[in-house]
Amino acid sequence: MWQVRADEYAEFAAVRAGHLYRSACLLTAGDTHLAEDLVQETLGRLYVSWRRVARVENPAGYAQTVLLRTFLTHQRRRSSTERAMEVLPDRPDDGAGRDMPLRLTLLEALARLPAKDRAVVVLRYWEDRSVEETAQVMNVSSAAVRTRCVRALGRLRELLGEDLGEYARP
Amino acid sequence: MPLEQHSDPFEEQLSAGMRHAAGAFETDRAALVTTGAARGRRRLLLRRRAAVAGGAAGLALVGVGGALLLPGAGSRTDRTSVAADSRHPSASPSAAPSPVSGDSLIRTLEKLLPSGKFSGAEARGTDEGAPYVHLVFDDGKGAAAVGVGLGRVQPGSDQARQVTECPGKAYAHYDTCGTSRLPDGSVVMVLQGYEYPDRRVDTKWWNAELVSPQGHHVSVSEWNAAAEKDAPITRSQPPLTPAQLKHIASAAAWRDAIDAMPEDKKKPTAEPSATESTAFAPVAPTLKSLLPKGLTVSESSGEDSGFGYVVADDGKGRSLVQVNVQAGMADVAGDLFGSGAETLPDGTRVAVHQGPGEKGGAGVVMWTVDTLRTDGTRVVISAFNSGAQDTAATRKTPVLTIAQLRSIALSPKWFL
Repeated sequence: MWQVRADEYAEFAAVRAGHLYRSACLLTAGDTHLAEDLVQETLGRLYVSWRRVARVENPAGYAQTVLLRTFLTHQRRRSSTERAMEVLPDRPDDGAGRDMPLRLTLLEALARLPAKDRAVVVLRYWEDRSVEETAQVMNVSSAAVRTRCVRALGRLRELLGEDLGEYARP
Repeated sequence: MPLEQHSDPFEEQLSAGMRHAAGAFETDRAALVTTGAARGRRRLLLRRRAAVAGGAAGLALVGVGGALLLPGAGSRTDRTSVAADSRHPSASPSAAPSPVSGDSLIRTLEKLLPSGKFSGAEARGTDEGAPYVHLVFDDGKGAAAVGVGLGRVQPGSDQARQVTECPGKAYAHYDTCGTSRLPDGSVVMVLQGYEYPDRRVDTKWWNAELVSPQGHHVSVSEWNAAAEKDAPITRSQPPLTPAQLKHIASAAAWRDAIDAMPEDKKKPTAEPSATESTAFAPVAPTLKSLLPKGLTVSESSGEDSGFGYVVADDGKGRSLVQVNVQAGMADVAGDLFGSGAETLPDGTRVAVHQGPGEKGGAGVVMWTVDTLRTDGTRVVISAFNSGAQDTAATRKTPVLTIAQLRSIALSPKWFL
């Protein structure tokens, strides 16, 4: 059945690639090159075990999980970079000197979160996953997800202000 | 995906803001898919190398087996690195027989083969992931790659059936394929085909797939070249006859090795998704039942749900009709259904595409009706004016009209 499987994989990949890419762009806080790389890696992993992936109840959800874990692995390998991002100053004069909004954009704000916090935010608020599902995807406890989530939301409130209406406008 | 309700207005706005921000990102998806698949192929190769380097040290790496040898058994996409793979099996200290080494698997294969010269042996033992042996065998008439892959399948499962089911001629070119049952209840498929289904290189690939009633899965492959791909053809046929392939696949030593594999308890658990457990009907039988009267079905896929096809004929020529049924696709509605798509009173979206085929058959057209229910279930049906996508057109238009395709896609019979 290999040719049928190959067709099935190609069809799946073609349909899911756009969504995976957008998720990856959020995870990488707008680093589109890295996002492409992560999606290619994810599709590569799915290719390797497609025969099994095709049988799971929700291959689309599975693909998102593979993407997230690929992202976290990538971050672990670059942990020094990650720490640098975490301590990045808030750049308060970004808007003061020039004619730009004082508050950061959503992507800039996401970039200032530690990678795992960002992953929690993406899973909870972009993929609409529950705390328990997020915990399962990230291989951590629900309590750890809650802690990260509270911390990340606090940080985002700080960076973006309480009213996010302007980012959500279509 | 389950929709979470966020009570806090900030969280609601964050959710909306992320959808907005994400929606702005676009890329060349076709390129992503192509590169992704290429990485998958390379990944298989690297994984084999890693296994050889880390496990059976000192073995030369000549010729690398491909995906066909290792049908998913033991592979773990959910582990995040190659290195992590080897650590995982220790999780199950159940009373499995002692592991069988890669070297021992090589000796087993050498003993089962007729007399000749062996070289380039490479193997992975039972405690290192999915076991396999691969070597180059020369009976004096030309070097040939021979490989054996071992794994488990759930007895009686879809997968057990699929691996021993001859592929549909609509999707694969091969010379002969047959399935038989052995006295012990095992089912063996022997297929004489080609390494490249489109035969751009005429490397022959012959393969036996055996599944025992206990779920042992043995896959034996041979080629008429010293490597599966990118090696010159050394002989007109692979060295082993179909009967010899079957004999090697049924050797008891392979089953002992499979019994020695640690149980992979994590494997069957996939993604949890309580909201998407809708059961789908098997595609081909459902499709057949929905076809208009007067069509002859000459070929069809099996009992799988998810994907299936039939080749139908109304007397004017063969026509391939294929169907995909997928859950949880609501989030890609925007990608699938553009502004021209229709929305039915119940919220189901319908899009129609008519264009050339995608696989190079001369004059082939592809008519597609894509539908998405409000619960995220997608049924997409395509019909071609040829019995296969990569062979020339056999008729002017597909055997079904757009209206017929639409009524089939919208049938409630796809859901059990």
